[in-house]
Amino acid sequence: MEKKIIFGNREAISLLLIFMCNQLFLSFPRNMAESAGNAGWILTIYITVISLVLFLIISRLYKNFEGKDILDVAEFLGGNIGRILVGIIYVIDYVVIISVILREYGEDLKIISLVQSPISFVLALFAIGMVFGAFFGLEPLVRLGAISVPVIFLGFLITVVGSIKYFNFSNILPIFGTGLVEILIEGPSRTSVFSGLTSLFLIAPFLRSHDNFKKSGFIGLILSGLILTVGNLVYSLVLPYPSTTSNFLPIYQLSRLIEYGRFFQRIESIFVLVWSMTALIYLSAGLFFSAYIYKKTFKLEYHRPLIIPFGIIIFTLSLIPKSLMETMFIDNSIIRKYAWTVTFGLTLVLLILASIKIKVKEGRHKDEK
Amino acid sequence: MADFKNILKYLFLYHEPDIQEEFILKEKESEKAGKEKTSERRKEISEDKQKTDNKSKTSKESHESKLISKNLTDNIEYLKKVYSIPTNGDIVLREFEIVAKDKTIPACIIFYDGMTDRTIIDLAILQPLMLLSNLEVKDKGKELLEYISKHLLVHNQIQITQNMGKVIEDINYGGCGVFIDGIDAAFACDVKGWEHRGVDKPETESVVRGPQEGFTETLRTNTALVRKILKDEELVVEDVSVGKRSKTPCSILYIKDIVNDSLVEEVRRRLKGIKVDYIFDTGDLEQYLEDNPFMTTPQIIATERPDRVANALTEGKVAVVMSGSPFALVMPTTNIDLLQSAEDTYLRFPYVNLIRIVRMVAIFVSLLLPGLYVAITNFHHEMIPTDLLLAIEASREKVPFPSVVEILIMEFAFELIVEAGIRRPGQLGPTLGIIGALILGQAAVAANIVSPILIIIVAVTGIGSFSIPNFGLGLSFRLLRFIFIFLASVAGFLGISLGLFMYGIWSCSVKSFGVPFMAPTGPKTYSNFLEQFVRSPIWKKEKRPDYLNVKKVHKQAKISRQWSQDNKKKDKQQKYEIQK
Repeated sequence: MEKKIIFGNREAISLLLIFMCNQLFLSFPRNMAESAGNAGWILTIYITVISLVLFLIISRLYKNFEGKDILDVAEFLGGNIGRILVGIIYVIDYVVIISVILREYGEDLKIISLVQSPISFVLALFAIGMVFGAFFGLEPLVRLGAISVPVIFLGFLITVVGSIKYFNFSNILPIFGTGLVEILIEGPSRTSVFSGLTSLFLIAPFLRSHDNFKKSGFIGLILSGLILTVGNLVYSLVLPYPSTTSNFLPIYQLSRLIEYGRFFQRIESIFVLVWSMTALIYLSAGLFFSAYIYKKTFKLEYHRPLIIPFGIIIFTLSLIPKSLMETMFIDNSIIRKYAWTVTFGLTLVLLILASIKIKVKEGRHKDEK
Repeated sequence: MADFKNILKYLFLYHEPDIQEEFILKEKESEKAGKEKTSERRKEISEDKQKTDNKSKTSKESHESKLISKNLTDNIEYLKKVYSIPTNGDIVLREFEIVAKDKTIPACIIFYDGMTDRTIIDLAILQPLMLLSNLEVKDKGKELLEYISKHLLVHNQIQITQNMGKVIEDINYGGCGVFIDGIDAAFACDVKGWEHRGVDKPETESVVRGPQEGFTETLRTNTALVRKILKDEELVVEDVSVGKRSKTPCSILYIKDIVNDSLVEEVRRRLKGIKVDYIFDTGDLEQYLEDNPFMTTPQIIATERPDRVANALTEGKVAVVMSGSPFALVMPTTNIDLLQSAEDTYLRFPYVNLIRIVRMVAIFVSLLLPGLYVAITNFHHEMIPTDLLLAIEASREKVPFPSVVEILIMEFAFELIVEAGIRRPGQLGPTLGIIGALILGQAAVAANIVSPILIIIVAVTGIGSFSIPNFGLGLSFRLLRFIFIFLASVAGFLGISLGLFMYGIWSCSVKSFGVPFMAPTGPKTYSNFLEQFVRSPIWKKEKRPDYLNVKKVHKQAKISRQWSQDNKKKDKQQKYEIQK
């Protein structure tokens, strides 16, 4: 038997931050710019608010299921079939997202520094780290997350502060970018940006109480909303609208601008360190969750033997897209548009139905009495 | 004529050469026979062997369970067999008689010469028994025993036992056994008196400020050194012996009303659970005790300083000292403990903070600098400012090796110098310095084997690794450095962060005696989180570390500088009076 893991809010929030904010280092600001022009940051605030409202409803409904994860809820609702169905959806969700993001990280790193290495080599390095991290389990991962999140945040802060002198406020005008209506329509499906929130529904049993669940969820969402908004805003402030949609690596592009005197001109390489650390923690946790959900779905005894097979599946899937452009298309037009169906849609449906079931049961009990 | 014939024969005829080997360490006869004969025979032999094994086992175990006989001759016979007398040269078996009025009772004492104090044996054991025993003695065995222990043996530490094993154990550890005819018990007197080193300055952990005493090889001296510092009756020194044959005495030290009992129980359980024949040093013991033997970082602190042990005990930790080892083990250990030196508490906090920052830089440098050099020169040229890049490239122009090979050569040479420096006596030190500095430094550059910048990198790395306060951690980073060089040569910064990630995950998963190794950072626990990295003023350290789950959390009052409050009160009063 595996020992019971319990961790604090700080660890849970760090995990959520890594899950939700890592895309800031990828093409997120560019995607936002594509959707809402130079009002990407307004769109981000908008989707953060929507997500917060949705999470408020979810956490209300979750109150009845303290100490249970989403699979337990599914089992309560639909027995084995419910659990297996939801489990498979979650596994597919995780595997697809992780493999796409693995490819994106690999490709981007290849562009930045490992120009001559083949993509499979770069991906293999990430995959090795990912399998290694997942093998040690969730506890060390969240701990390392808690240690490295401040460092990663510092890296981000340096980028923001360093680019202050390039701020041009006319860049964010017109203030509503491509139009308020577009933002309002685009918003709800863009809540997929917070697909990382699913991890919170899985770690619910490891958090001591429902209050912790609520607290970590809210703080995680607000902080990541804030970081994503600031990232977007800075990006829009520095670069004019046409070029915001043509950069592969928006934040990297910003870090290239940093210049402190004649000597410190090119510190963006340090960015690679911060960046790959984020990627490794994110990918390992993702791989761990895939194996963990699979184990729980089919009520297996161990999850460790599943890690290497899942690692290989993810690695192989990540090699399927032909180019970075194709990967970015999958990320932007599929995952970041439809992932909300799992994150919020499925969860809400499950929780509402389960709550109704509880009410019905309680009603029956009362009648019997 | 005959001689002449012999000479001719000797010269021209073939001779079987004389067998050169005078002694061959043969396998056991039984085993040899076993190999030669058929499988049946083999089976028989293995059965025999099992029997003999059992026999030897029982002989070792037998005197642990053997009771002392009433008959002195039986006891002497047994002791002679056990101690191989007279083959054994250093064991003394002295027979004598106790004269009680008109009755003489045969007796004997047995001890190891050299491990015991002869004067004590003469004055406190032999003299009273042989000369002062001329007093009324009753016939019954038990009363005689009581009489001797209460009136005749004037030594201060005496144990009466009926178990032969106990006496033998005491004799082996510098005790003296007294056997008396007619009594089915023996006296084990503590007369230890071997040659030992005095209390000296700690050599591996010297400080500028603070006590200058270090542990020695004697167990009791070591426990006394700690007790002398703490002066607390709640300090418990619990004795445990480790090693099936050596029975090396160890002491578990803890402060009863502070430490978490389950921690003490765990240390006790691990110590008692070590099944090994001999154990000599806490260096061995550490390897038997630690949670994760494959982790490069040490998970138990070994210290030579009694004040450091005392300090750890007051925090709620447990220490183990061992006879024969001048290093005490302190557990549990977290990563931050390895970065602190004994001096940190004695110095004022601003100075300590400077030193700690220097230490952090030292760690970073000793672990990553060569790797970063390889990564930058191979993958990330753009990172270096143009002027510096030109300088580096110009210096590397004539070097035929790639930077990885270059750095591996120099790092290896550096490790050689370090190893040679430790093994060679002091007189050869200057020679080594000249070889190291001139030949490996200057000449290697002049011969265009390595670039000058590399010499700087290796030197800085070396100095960095020596600045790490914990010897074990320094060694661990010296080892990991090579892994980082390899990773950096494979994938530049990605390789380095892969290495850091793996090392981080591993460290986060390790526990030292139930405490996460990365506490209080990951998982974050209370207890002056920042205190662990930078030091706050001493009066701010109000609580003991949270992760130790101690019985008493507070170690000083909220306002420990109470006098400052008194002054404030006085000031207020004065102002009030003036206003009046």
